[in-house]
Amino acid sequence: MPRHQTAIVKGTLDLLVLKTLALEPRHGVGVAERIDQITRGTFQVRPGSLFPALHRLEQNGFIAGEWSETPEGRRAKYYRITAAGQRQLAAEKKNWARIVLAVGQILEAD
Amino acid sequence: MPILPRLSALRDTLFRRKRLESELDAELAAALETLADRYVASGMSPEAARLAAHAALGGLNGIAHVKEEVRDVRVGRSLEATIGDLRYAWRGLQRTPGFGAVAILTLGLGIGSTTAIFSVVRTLLLSDLPFQDGSRLVFVWHDLSARGYPRAPLAGPEIVDLRDRARLFSGFGGIWSNTTVLTGQDPEQLRIGLVTHDFFSVLGAAPALGRTFKAEDAAPTASGTILLSHALWQRRFAGDPAIVGRTIQVNNRATAVVGVMPPGFRPMMPPDASVPDDLQAWLLLHSSFTTWPRGQRFLRVVGRMKPGVRLADAQQEIDAIGIQLAREYKRVGIYGPMESGRALYAVGLHADGVREVRPTLLALFAGVSLLLVVACVNVASLLIARAAARSRETAVRIVLGADTRRLFRQYAVEGLLLGALGGAAGLLVGRGCLALLVSLRPATLGRIDAASIDPGVTAFAIGLALTWGLILSLGPLAQARSADIFTSLQQASRGGGSRLLYRRRAALVVFQLALSVVLLVSAGLLARAFVRLANVDPGFAWDNVVTFRLSLSGPRFEEREAFHAFSAQFRSRLAALPGVIAAGAISHLPYDDLPNWGTPYVPDGRVDRGERPTADTRAITPGFFEAVGARLIEGRFFTEADTAASTPVAIVDERLARHAWPGESAIGKRFTGDPYTNGHASVLVTVVGVVRHLRHRQLAAETGEQIYYPHTQAPRNPMAYVVRSSSNPDAVIPQVRGALARLDSTLPIYDPRPLSAYVVAARAARRFTMILAAAFAGAALALAVIGVYGVTAYASALRRREFGVRLALGATRRQIVGLVMGETVRLGALGLVLGLAGAAIAATLLRSQLYELTPGDPLSYALAIPVLAGAVSLAAWLPAQRATRISPMESLRAD
Repeated sequence: MPRHQTAIVKGTLDLLVLKTLALEPRHGVGVAERIDQITRGTFQVRPGSLFPALHRLEQNGFIAGEWSETPEGRRAKYYRITAAGQRQLAAEKKNWARIVLAVGQILEAD
Repeated sequence: MPILPRLSALRDTLFRRKRLESELDAELAAALETLADRYVASGMSPEAARLAAHAALGGLNGIAHVKEEVRDVRVGRSLEATIGDLRYAWRGLQRTPGFGAVAILTLGLGIGSTTAIFSVVRTLLLSDLPFQDGSRLVFVWHDLSARGYPRAPLAGPEIVDLRDRARLFSGFGGIWSNTTVLTGQDPEQLRIGLVTHDFFSVLGAAPALGRTFKAEDAAPTASGTILLSHALWQRRFAGDPAIVGRTIQVNNRATAVVGVMPPGFRPMMPPDASVPDDLQAWLLLHSSFTTWPRGQRFLRVVGRMKPGVRLADAQQEIDAIGIQLAREYKRVGIYGPMESGRALYAVGLHADGVREVRPTLLALFAGVSLLLVVACVNVASLLIARAAARSRETAVRIVLGADTRRLFRQYAVEGLLLGALGGAAGLLVGRGCLALLVSLRPATLGRIDAASIDPGVTAFAIGLALTWGLILSLGPLAQARSADIFTSLQQASRGGGSRLLYRRRAALVVFQLALSVVLLVSAGLLARAFVRLANVDPGFAWDNVVTFRLSLSGPRFEEREAFHAFSAQFRSRLAALPGVIAAGAISHLPYDDLPNWGTPYVPDGRVDRGERPTADTRAITPGFFEAVGARLIEGRFFTEADTAASTPVAIVDERLARHAWPGESAIGKRFTGDPYTNGHASVLVTVVGVVRHLRHRQLAAETGEQIYYPHTQAPRNPMAYVVRSSSNPDAVIPQVRGALARLDSTLPIYDPRPLSAYVVAARAARRFTMILAAAFAGAALALAVIGVYGVTAYASALRRREFGVRLALGATRRQIVGLVMGETVRLGALGLVLGLAGAAIAATLLRSQLYELTPGDPLSYALAIPVLAGAVSLAAWLPAQRATRISPMESLRAD
C-alpha cells in the first residue's frame, strides 16, 4: 500500500474507529462490521488493516482492550473508548467538520 | 497525547514482548474464528469459511504481514528491533565462538596497543608542561660544539647577563643538581637541586605547603632555608603538618623548612640537563654564584617569555645576547670558536624535553595505528567471509521483502557489537600494555609513568572501537547490496563467495606477511645488536662490584688534611674486609646521572688560543682502577703517595694520549689542566699513566677524551665507592656499614647497588626498543597468521566441491593437503620476498640502533624465514586438514 495514501486513510480510520467504539465496546471484527453497516459498504474496512489502527489507538491510550466472551461463546479482545479517547474524538470531530466546511466552500465557490 | 499510556506501552514493547505476541496471536486467532463463524452462518462450508476468513483478515500479504504491521505501530518499535538485532548478532557470535574470539581478540589487541601508546603520546607530547603557562618556558643552552659539547650548561655570571639584557623575558631561573646530607639522628644523603631564588616562580610551580624561595632568602646574611619534596616530607618527617617553619640540620647547619612541593612535582628539565626528576629537596645556590668564573659551566637556566612573545623572537634575542658576550669576552677566550655562529641558544622547554623520544613515540604511534588498521581489515575480511557464507540467507531475506535499511541496521549493530566488545578487550589490553611499558621504561622515558587510561584516553578507545565497528559493518553491507540476488543464490549453492573477493583478501594477506617479515627482521637486528653490545668491552668490569656513595661533610672534615686522612683510613678498612679484592672511589660512577664534569687542558709548550680541547674529567682515589679492572697501558696507577702536597699528576686515556702526543709516549709529558674546576687551565700536571678508554658515558661508542686526577689534588665530595669482592657482593654492604660506623657513626652511605645496575640502566633504552620491536613483530605475525588462516579457509571453502570430486575420484588426503597448502605457500613466498626487500629498506633507518652490526646482517634476515614458514604452515594446516575430511557424497549433495 503506498505510503502517502495511508496517512489520509489512517486519520479517517482513527475517527471512524473511535466513533464506533464510543457507542459500545466491540472486538476488531465487530468494529469492521459496524463501519461497513453504518456506511452501507462505502467504507469496506478489511479487518487486517484495522488491527494496526486499533493497536495504535490503544498504545496512545485512546482505547483500552479487554478480553471477554462474545455472544457466540468465544473469547475475544474487546476495545472500549477511554476518557482520553472521548476527548480525542471530540477534537477530531471538530477538525473533520472544519475540513468538510472548508472543502465544501471551495467546491461551492463560483 | 497522554504520556503515561505511551510509557507503559514502551515498557511492554521492550520487556513484555512475549506476552504482547501471544496476545496478538490470540486476538488474531479469535478474529479468524469469529469471521469463519460469520461465513458459516451465511452458508459456507467450514473449510471454505476458514479460507475466506484468512483472506479477509490477511489480504494478499497474509496474516504474518498484519502482525508485522501491528508490531510496527508499537511505541519503541525501532529500539526494540535494534535490541532484536543485537540479540541476533550476539547469538551469531555464540554460534561461531571461534570467529567471535578471534575477531574480538584481534580488535582488542589493535585497540589496546593503540590506546596504550596514545596515552603515552598524550602525556608526553600533547599535554602542556604541568606548570602555569608552561608553553612560555624556554631552556637556555651554551653551544660548545667546537669542543664536543653542543648542549652545555651556563656559567653563574651568564644568568645575570641574561636578566640584564633580555627584554622579551620576565625572568630566568637556574638549577644545578647536587647532593647534601641531612644530619642529626640517622644521617641521610639527599639528592638536591641548588636553585636561584626565583627558579620556582619562573617555572610557575607552586608548593603544596608553605612557600618556595624568595629574594630575601638568598641574601648573604640570611639563615639557611630548604624546600622539601613531597616524598621526603612523607618518609623522613612522617608528613608532619607543622613542618613549615621547623628547623632541621642540613650539612650540620640549622636550616628552616619553607615549604613542601606537591606529590607529582618534577622539574621537567631536558633529559641531558642532568637535573633528575626525583630530587628530594631544594636549597639556594650560594649567594656568590654570580661571581664564579665564566669558564665554570654548571647552571641549567630556564627562562619565561613575557606574555605574547613569539618563541622565534625570544630565540633571536638569546642568540644576540650570546654573540654580544662572545665579542665582549673574546680576549679571555671564554666562548671559543663559534662553529655554529652562536654561543647561547634557547629552545622550548617542552619541545626540548621530548626532543629524543618524540620521533620514537610518533613512529610507535604510527606503527600501532598501522597494526590496528591491519587488525580491523582482518576482522572485516572475516566478516565478509561470514557474510558470503550467509549470502544465501541474505538473498532469501531480500526476496522475502526485507528492507535494505533493516539489513543495514543489522550489519551496523553487528559491527558495533564487535567494536564494543573489541573496545572493552582493548581497554583491558591497553591497561596491560601501559603497565608493561611503564615497568620497562628506560630513564629517558621516565615520565611515562604519568600516563594513564584516564577518561580522555578511554573516550579515545571508545571512539576508535565504535568508528571501526561501523567501518567493519560496511564490508558485509557492500557485499549484500552489490549481491545480485540470483547470482548470490547460485553462488551460495556453490559454497559462497567469489574469486575476486579471494584475490583481494590474498593481496591483503601478502601485505600482512610482508609487514611481519619487516618487523621480524628489524627485531632480529635489534636483538643481535643488543647481544653484541652486551659483549662489548667497556674498558672496565662490573661483575662482583658493589657501589655506594658517601659524603664527608661536617665540621670535622673542614680541614683538607682531616678529610683526606679519613678517606684514606676508610679505604684501608674497606680493603681489609674479608673477601674484598680492591676498593676505591670516584667522583662519577659510569652511567651515573650526575652532571658530566669536563675540563680544558693545554699540552705543555703549546699556546692557548682559546681552542683548548676539553676532556671528561674524573677524580679518583687509589684502588679505583684496580676495583673496576681498568687496564693500564703504560705508567702507573695512583698511590697514597700522590697527596695534596706532592707534584700534580694525572692519568689520561689512550685517546687523549694519542691526540695530544701522537706517536710518543705520554708518560712524563705535562699539560696545564683545571683540577679545581675554576674555568681556567692553570695547573701544570704531569702524566703518570695511560689507561684503556673507559666507556663510562655511553656503552655503544667511545666518547671524548679522559683525564683522571687524584682525589687529593682535585677534591670532590661526595664520592662514589666501588668495592670488588671475591665472595657474594650482597654481603659486602652490611660489612661496609659496620666498618664506617666504627670510624664515624654519624656518616650515612647511600645508593648501595651493584655496578651492574648502572650498566643495565644504561642499556635499558636499547632493551626497551628491542622488546617493543619484538612485541610489534609478534603482534604482526599473529595478525598475519589469522589472515592466512582466514584466506586459506575461504579458498578451500570455495573449492569444497572440487575437493569432494577429487576425493571421490580417488585423490589421497595428502594430495588435497598439497592443493590447499600449495596456494598458501605461494602467498607466503611472495610475502617473504616483499618483506625481505622492505626489511632491507627499514634496516637502514635503524642504522643508529644497530651498534656495530651492518643493516644487511644476513643472520637476522635468515632467521625470519623459518619463523614465517612455520607460522604460515601452522595457519594453513587447519583448513587443509578440514578439506581432507570432506565427504565426497556430502559435498555433491550440498547443492
